[in-house]
Amino acid sequence: MRWLIHSVRAALRCRGYKPQPLSWLSASRWIKQFDKKDQALAERLLSNVIYLSESTTREVLLEQNAILMKRLKEAGLPAKNLIYVSVHEAGSSSPVMLNLLRDGAFLEKLGCKLIDGRDTLNLVKAMNELGEGALIYVDDFVGSGNQFCTERDFISQNFVGTFSEFMLAPSICEEAFAKMDERGIQAFAGHKHVKAERPLHPESDVFDEKDRLRVAAICKGIDRFGLGYKGLATMVVLYRNAPNTVPVMLRGNVNQKPYFGIFPRTIDLPIPSG
Amino acid sequence: MPTLKPTHPAVPQIVPTGKLRHLTTREVIPSTNNPRHLFDPDQLLELKKNIGEHGVLVPITVYQAKGQAKFSILDGERRFRCVVELEEEGRGGKDGVPLTLPANVVEPPTKIAGLLYMFSIHNYREGWELMPTALSLKIVMEDLGTTDNKALGKLTGLSDAQIERCKKLLKFPEKFQEMSLDVNPKTRIPPNFWIEALPVLDLALETSEPLRKLGRGRATEKLVDKYRDKKIKSVIHFRRIMESYELSEDDPPTKAKVLRRVEEFFLNPKLETRDGFDEFVVEKKRVQSALSACEGFLLQLQKFKLTYTTNEDERRNLRKALHDVQAYCESLEHALEGSDDPEAQQD
Repeated sequence: MRWLIHSVRAALRCRGYKPQPLSWLSASRWIKQFDKKDQALAERLLSNVIYLSESTTREVLLEQNAILMKRLKEAGLPAKNLIYVSVHEAGSSSPVMLNLLRDGAFLEKLGCKLIDGRDTLNLVKAMNELGEGALIYVDDFVGSGNQFCTERDFISQNFVGTFSEFMLAPSICEEAFAKMDERGIQAFAGHKHVKAERPLHPESDVFDEKDRLRVAAICKGIDRFGLGYKGLATMVVLYRNAPNTVPVMLRGNVNQKPYFGIFPRTIDLPIPSG
Repeated sequence: MPTLKPTHPAVPQIVPTGKLRHLTTREVIPSTNNPRHLFDPDQLLELKKNIGEHGVLVPITVYQAKGQAKFSILDGERRFRCVVELEEEGRGGKDGVPLTLPANVVEPPTKIAGLLYMFSIHNYREGWELMPTALSLKIVMEDLGTTDNKALGKLTGLSDAQIERCKKLLKFPEKFQEMSLDVNPKTRIPPNFWIEALPVLDLALETSEPLRKLGRGRATEKLVDKYRDKKIKSVIHFRRIMESYELSEDDPPTKAKVLRRVEEFFLNPKLETRDGFDEFVVEKKRVQSALSACEGFLLQLQKFKLTYTTNEDERRNLRKALHDVQAYCESLEHALEGSDDPEAQQD
C-alpha cells in the first residue's frame, strides 16, 4: 500500500499542475508503469520533487520583487526608473510571470516600464529615455542560464545609460547564479536550486550511489537525454510546466509513449484527436 | 575614456568621487565589451608577472551603478584579468593575503559619456554588430545635435565609411532595423543586407512604376522574403544588380533589359539573384577582358620591336604562331559581325 500513500501525497502536494492534472490515480499509474523493484525508487524520486503551485509562485515573485524595489528605492532608483523585461518569446513562462507581477505588484500604476526582451528597439528607447535605472528580467525558472545569458549578451550590445541588472524568478539553479554573477546580474529568487537537492545529480547524496545510478539508467533508457537539458537533473516543477531540465522519468516521452510522465511538459503531450 | 573635445560643451566628462577602494575580483564586473585582441598575450604575461611580484600599483577606474552591489570597470580590464588569472593559479598576495585591486571610484558615466566610451572600446573590437553601433550613433547624433561625419568621427573614432554605413542602416524603418536585432541568429537579418540592398531599392523605386506603386516598405519586404527563401544567397549578390546596371549605362537596349529584370527580381519571388543578373555581368566582363587582352597583346608585341631574326627556325615558329593568332582573330571578328545575338543570325 506504500504506492497508495505516495500517490495520495503527490496528488495533494502537486495540485493544479496545468498541463495535465495530477490525481492519486494518475500518480499510482505512473508508479506502476515501472518494474516492481524500481517502483520504490520512482516513489522516492517523486517525493523529492519541489513543486511550486500558482499561489506559491505568485507569493514568491511578489515578495522578492518587494525586496528588490525597496532596495532600489533606497539606492535612489524610483519605480519609474525600473524596466521589467520578459526574456523569452511570447507564449513561454517569462511573459506570464511578468503579467502576474504586473497585476500583483501594480507595476504599471507605479510607473515601471514593461518590455519584451526581444523588442530590442523599444528597450533601447526606454533606456535612452531614462539614462539610468535597473533592468529586471523576469522568469519562472532559470536552469543552466545558458539561453538567458546568450540572449542577454546579444541585446546588451545595445544598452544605453547606466543600468544595474537583476533576475527575478521563483527558483534559480546554482549553475545560473554563477553565470549571472559573472555579468553582474544579481539574482532574486525565492529558492536557489542547489545540486545537493537533486537526487540524480552526481554531486548529490540524496540517493545512495547504487540507487542514483539505477534511476539514472532508467531515465537514459527512456531517452538518451534522460537527466534533462545539460544533465542538470533539476527537481523543481512549476504549476505552468515542468522545465526541460527535469529527469525524463518525471516528464515522460514525447507524446507520452511508451513512458508517460507524471509532470509532462506541454510540448510532450499528444495532440487530442478530432 | 575617449579623448573628448574639451571645448564641446555638450560632452560631459567623467566625474571622480575622490574615493580610492581596494576591491577583490569578486566585487568587480569585468567589461563584456572589451576587445580580446587588445590583450597582447606577451604584454599580459609581463604585466601578470609584475603584478604577481608587486601587486597592482596603478589603480583601476570603476563606477557603481545605482542598486548594483558590484563595481563596473571603466579602465583597467587587463590588470583585473591578471589578478583573476593569478588567483586561479593559486598565486594570491603575499603572506596569504588575497590580492586586491586599488580602484578609483568615479560617478557612473552619463549616457553620452558612456556611449562615447563604448565607441572607444568598439573601435578595437572584432565582431561588434553594426546595428548596435548605428543605434548608439543615432543617440549621439540626437543628443549632441550633429549629423556631420567629421564631428561624429572625432567624437566616436568611427571612420567616415563606418558612419556612412550606420546612416544607411538608420534610413530603414524600425521594423526592418529590428530584424537585425533578432536574438535568434537563424532568423536575424545581417546588417549588411540593408547596406547592400539600399542602392538596389533606390534604383528600383526610381525606375519602376509598379514598384513605386508598391511602396518602399513592401518592396523592402519582398527583398527580405527572397533572402529568407534563399533566393538571395549572399548579400554581396546585390552588387551584381548594381554592376549590371552600371555596365549597361552606355548601352540603352541592355540598360532597358536590366531595368526590366530588376523589376522582375522584386516581383518574382522565385528569381534568384545570380540567375537574374549573371548574364549581364558575366558577358560584359568577358567582352571587357577580351578587349584588354587585345590591348595587352599588341602592347607586348610592339615592345619586342621584332622586325627580323637571324635564326631561321625561330622565324618559322614565330610566323606560324602569328598566323594562328591571325586566323583565330579573323574567325572571331567574323563571328561578331552584324547582330549581337548569334542565335538570331542562325534563324
